[in-house]
Amino acid sequence: MTQLTIDGRTISVPEGTMVVDAAAKLGIDIPIYCYHQSLGPLGACRICLVEIEKMPKLQTACTTAVREGMVVRTGGPAVEKGRQGILEFLLINHPLDCPVCDKGGECFLQDYSFWYGAGKNRFEESKIQRRKDYPVSSYILLDQERCVLCQRCIRFMGEYVGEEQLMLEGRGVHTVVSTVEGQPATSPYAGNVIDLCPVGALLSEPYHFKARPWNIEREETLCSVCPVGCASLVTGRDGRAVRLEGRPQPELNDYGFLCDHGRFTYDYTYHPRRLTAAELDGAPQSPSAVIAAVGERLARAVAEAGPESVGVLTGGTHTVEEEWALARFAQDVVGTSRLGLVKPVAGDLPLALLGTFGDLAAATGVLLLGVDPYEAVPVVHLKLREARRAHPVAVWGLGDRTLTRATLPGDDYVVEPGRVAAALGAVLGGGDLDERWQALAEGLLTTERLVVLWDGADPGAAAALAQLAARRAGPTAVLPTHGPRNWLGAVRAGIPADDAAARGILEDAAEGRLSALILLGADPIRDFPDGDLAARALERVPSVYFMGAFAPEPRHALAAILPTAVWAEVTGTYANMEGRLQVAHGAAAAPGPARPVRPLVTALARAFGRPLRLGDDFDPFADQDGDRIARPPASQVPEDPAAPAPLRIREGEWALITGEVVAVSHPPSEIAERSRDRFPLRLNPADADRLGLRPEGGLVEVSQAERRFVAGARRDARIPEGRVFVPRGLPEVPVNRLDRGAGVRVALADRVPEGVAAQ
Amino acid sequence: MGSPRPDRHYLLRQRDVSGIHQLAVYREHGGYQALQQALEANQPDQLVELTKASGLRGRGGAGFPTGMKWSFLPKDGRARVLVVNADEGEPGTFKDRELMEGNPHQLIEGMIITCFAIGAPESYVYIRGEFLHGYERLTAAIREAEEAGILGERVMGTDFSHRMFVYRGAGAYICGEETALLESLEGKRGNPRSKPPFPAVAGLYGRPTVVNNVETIMNLPPLVLEGADWYRQWGTEKSPGLKVMSVSGHVNRPGNYEVPLDWTLAELIEAAGGVRTGHQVKAVIPGGSSMPCMPASQLDTPIDYESLVQAGSMLGSGGCIVMDETTCMVRAVARVVRFYRNESCGKCTPCREGTFWLTDILDRLERGDGEMSDLDTLLDVSDNINGKAFCALGDAAVGFLVSALKHFREEFVEHITGQRCPLGARQYDTVNH
Amino acid sequence: MSERNWPAEWQEWAEASRATFPNAQSSLMPFLHRVRSQRGWLPPEALDAAADLLGMTRQHVNSVVSFYTLFRSEPTGRRTIHVCLGLSCMMAGADTLMENLEHHLGIAEGQTTRDGAVTLLEAECLAACDLAPAAQVNLVYRGPVAPEAFRELLEMPVPEPEGWVPPSAPEAPEVTNHG
Ligand SMILES: Cc1cc2nc3c(=O)[nH]c(=O)nc-3n(C[C@H](O)[C@H](O)[C@H](O)COP(=O)(O)O)c2cc1C
Ligand code: SF4
Ligand code: FES
Repeated sequence: MTQLTIDGRTISVPEGTMVVDAAAKLGIDIPIYCYHQSLGPLGACRICLVEIEKMPKLQTACTTAVREGMVVRTGGPAVEKGRQGILEFLLINHPLDCPVCDKGGECFLQDYSFWYGAGKNRFEESKIQRRKDYPVSSYILLDQERCVLCQRCIRFMGEYVGEEQLMLEGRGVHTVVSTVEGQPATSPYAGNVIDLCPVGALLSEPYHFKARPWNIEREETLCSVCPVGCASLVTGRDGRAVRLEGRPQPELNDYGFLCDHGRFTYDYTYHPRRLTAAELDGAPQSPSAVIAAVGERLARAVAEAGPESVGVLTGGTHTVEEEWALARFAQDVVGTSRLGLVKPVAGDLPLALLGTFGDLAAATGVLLLGVDPYEAVPVVHLKLREARRAHPVAVWGLGDRTLTRATLPGDDYVVEPGRVAAALGAVLGGGDLDERWQALAEGLLTTERLVVLWDGADPGAAAALAQLAARRAGPTAVLPTHGPRNWLGAVRAGIPADDAAARGILEDAAEGRLSALILLGADPIRDFPDGDLAARALERVPSVYFMGAFAPEPRHALAAILPTAVWAEVTGTYANMEGRLQVAHGAAAAPGPARPVRPLVTALARAFGRPLRLGDDFDPFADQDGDRIARPPASQVPEDPAAPAPLRIREGEWALITGEVVAVSHPPSEIAERSRDRFPLRLNPADADRLGLRPEGGLVEVSQAERRFVAGARRDARIPEGRVFVPRGLPEVPVNRLDRGAGVRVALADRVPEGVAAQ
Repeated sequence: MGSPRPDRHYLLRQRDVSGIHQLAVYREHGGYQALQQALEANQPDQLVELTKASGLRGRGGAGFPTGMKWSFLPKDGRARVLVVNADEGEPGTFKDRELMEGNPHQLIEGMIITCFAIGAPESYVYIRGEFLHGYERLTAAIREAEEAGILGERVMGTDFSHRMFVYRGAGAYICGEETALLESLEGKRGNPRSKPPFPAVAGLYGRPTVVNNVETIMNLPPLVLEGADWYRQWGTEKSPGLKVMSVSGHVNRPGNYEVPLDWTLAELIEAAGGVRTGHQVKAVIPGGSSMPCMPASQLDTPIDYESLVQAGSMLGSGGCIVMDETTCMVRAVARVVRFYRNESCGKCTPCREGTFWLTDILDRLERGDGEMSDLDTLLDVSDNINGKAFCALGDAAVGFLVSALKHFREEFVEHITGQRCPLGARQYDTVNH
Repeated sequence: MSERNWPAEWQEWAEASRATFPNAQSSLMPFLHRVRSQRGWLPPEALDAAADLLGMTRQHVNSVVSFYTLFRSEPTGRRTIHVCLGLSCMMAGADTLMENLEHHLGIAEGQTTRDGAVTLLEAECLAACDLAPAAQVNLVYRGPVAPEAFRELLEMPVPEPEGWVPPSAPEAPEVTNHG
């Protein structure tokens, strides 16, 4: 620790801390533009000038590391003049268009000018003209005239993300931030530069001219799109969510970066497909009429076939409080124990192994078990890079395709589809492994602090992971990367989240043993790993009652529809993939008759004839492990996996592989439409060449037995030959309705055949 | 009066021996004897001590004692790198170009001696992109040296091996600044780096690095042969030795002059044939355009580092620009400030925006469109740049301006009151304007 | 993916550049210099080639190229004249030399004649103040060039870029911001 004095106050900070951060710890605000903790010092803007005893010149607080006994003054005539001078310089080529700038009111330049502003403008010459409203990505506009060349955006993209898509062009006063012509930034992290830009140079195109600081509400929320649950701020205007921004959480060492799939999909809350009317038997009805009818029918079903004839499935996207209300309704009102959660993978993580992002930051080794975090949980990819910036981290990929990538290099172990768990088991079992596999075994067993990112796809891996943790001397933490977004919140609400619970309910429904099925935001046909089972279940069960924001297909299977409020419209608690509970506040109004789940459930209970009192007696944080959900002890370890059945792939067939891709599975969004991947299927380039796929990608037909699907496909060298990668949840090719143990046929499709879903 | 002029050239040896850029000629005249002696008779530390004892100071601009710079290298066993700064771009300075074109083997010899002294298996010359001829001369000389066993494995049959590389810049004055140079040498934009870490700790490719000027390094061969006392016979206690001064502007014989560091400016100008016949000196910039100018009244100032600082200027890189009474100081200043505007790398705010602003004001003044308040603005803007920029280019940009406003303020005022240049100087403007 | 339609020797040069310096990072500028001296400037495919052959992003290549004045990415004449406008040259009449050239060629500083023969550029101090007013033609020094003797710069024999391609459609000359 180093002790120093800033403005007469003494503080001790770790060696190497920059003066600006030491001052911040004392609550002393030193203005900054170019400095950002995630990027480290640059010293370009010079606004952070301070006076340091024994130094003849003013120093930049962002590049000066503390030294024992240092005496710093952050004010006084010399400092004020220095900063005033810098501000004046920044303004000479900066347009004075704050009144029409989206950042007006949220701008560092404006703020500091207000503090230090010289008043009179001495610069009489003409400003340099540059590009305005220059699109640098599908979502980002650049105003070069407003740019102060702090380089935060460039350094973020190049150094932090590792995707050098923005650049500094030119020299001296002609320097600008730019992209190579015709090559806009495509990185899914690009949107962060909007938050990072201290002025109004990088703007959100979807938010452009949408609101002014004084007619918005900016509430603390969490991203609702994937289980990372990034802290964010939602901007509400006229009852609608119009912007999502990152929200740093210094206490968690989190800089508040988001991915664009989360940042630009908030409009799902008013997407045209959003349910805005209640329906009964296919006809619109008032919500209260539907509630009354559903309550009554449910009561009748219970009276006739017993409470266990009613199944309840949640989609795991609502708040903990709402999931809890659903559980109360199922258990206390209906009296059924048939309660479950629809999740897209069959694996069940032993919660004793559940790790945190803190574990990730400290990890010395990371195993990507079936998952490419860049695609599935993008901000975790950034967190991994962040960890690597601090210290060496070994990364291994184990899956049915390459899982590391240029921005996260490591060693890949590619196995046959469906054999991930078996491979991990074999690695742990010793046996005769070749040198490469031996290296993996050694790495996994001996790395000091291991974190496994697991996609949950291969159920047997749970046992192998438990075994791995038991064998290792150092700590082992697992972070499940699969959805739904709040499945751990549902666990907190007491809903069984294991695959067997949901499977049992669907099997019973398919066999005709259920009289009714209640769905809260659940779409089992789309999301359950066995989509055919779910489809049979929904066809067979006499009544399906749906509550949620987007109706599952087929609509005719739904006896009743009750629209609900969603994220941004309610305040409530979510648990992320670490099992961390956090509160999100509402900033928008639910459309039309959509209601929050809690009043909906109490109304249903009343109609059922068994009123439910959901007072404030439920506190998601009570009796938990701090802000993390309670986790059972390690003893509850599942059994060893059975050896997987061999793949049945015939001559000329391809193996089907899948995985989570948020770019595909995020909620429906018109904003995100502009960057939708037209070629979501992926093939090895050699295979693509053989097929004759065009370089930019093209349509292919994927078929199995009688089923045919057409979708866009492109080349990806990370897919092994003979395999076709189909993202999970892709409407064009519902991979969960195909037999993954068997092969598929792939052929070029020059047009979309009739009767095939195409978008 | 300063020391007597040396009887021969020690650096500008091409002046005495024609064809000395060729290995054979260079060797005939004692070339590479110093290297042989250094490798065979000296320990590396002794060479560092010799350099310290000689009092040799860096000729790139800052005048930092060379031996001391070498001894800052961390003693952690890592291989060191020598980078020779041949980016010479300081307006008024043209010595390194002539030295490299005319006497490249002495640079190579000096580099190998230095590398042996500091423990560097590799060295680099970062040569200004415009120096095509110098580049060709230097690479040809390196090839000759390699073929003769002077470079490469086992230099001159000893255990010391050495590889030398020449890297061309591509038109950017800032790449003369040592950390910008290293960035450029690593294939990047020439934006200066933060210090710390200093190049001595983490320089080229993160290795411990010494950056020295061409002229600095060329002092090594005679120094090894003749010794520190020989070197100290010239100059002053703190500024010993000979310096190649580039003299240009209104003198009769512009050119490079290898002179003792205790000569006065007047003596130097005399050596260059005196001020243009029929004219008088008005002002002199003694050390390149980054340095403050001095009025004619200060011509008897000796050119050693200390005396020039005392007189309000600096020796810098030794580019002495002589201006006679026909020179419009406003125009001269406008020209120099525009240079810094054009050459600012653009990284930091004060230099990038400040030089832009100053240029605009100065152009206006020169056109006769200035106001009295502009003079205060010029000084205030200069003050807001000075000491606040990221690297020394910012300070360099205002040195001449501030000094000219001090010594020739009335000339600026005349431009304002008369609404025109009193000397009738016309500004260059392209035809399309 | 960009089309790989660059000449075979570029591939060799890229490999040679990578091999010349112990660290491949340093290969970019040497490669660009070679292409520049062959073509007289850096056409877009040269930047593509640099990125592709040296394993760098096109952003990096563009960003570097735009920093250095000798790396020009707009069509440049067979003969590039740099007139030094540094202080010493200015004092010796460089401005008049430049004006004479502009009038004679009918172009402004920064422009190229319609036939692509000559590009006229201002140079900052060329480190040849002893030759003031000094100039370079295809990087060959000339000086002193008296303002009225400007023709020397158009006539002196200099090596020319052997792979120079005349501008296909003569574009209207563009004025740069540098003036
Ligand atoms: C803007 C700027 C330009 C410089 N240009 C040169 C140059 O062209 N040649 C040079 O040797 N040093 C130049 N220097 C000084 C170098 O940074 C460095 O101090 C020098 O090369 C060290 O060598 P020396 O110790 O032998 O003098 C420049 C410095 C600055 C700030
Ligand atoms: S002072 Fe600043 S802008 Fe100027 S050259 Fe140095 S770093 Fe670049
Ligand atoms: S914040 Fe310190 S220089 Fe920019």
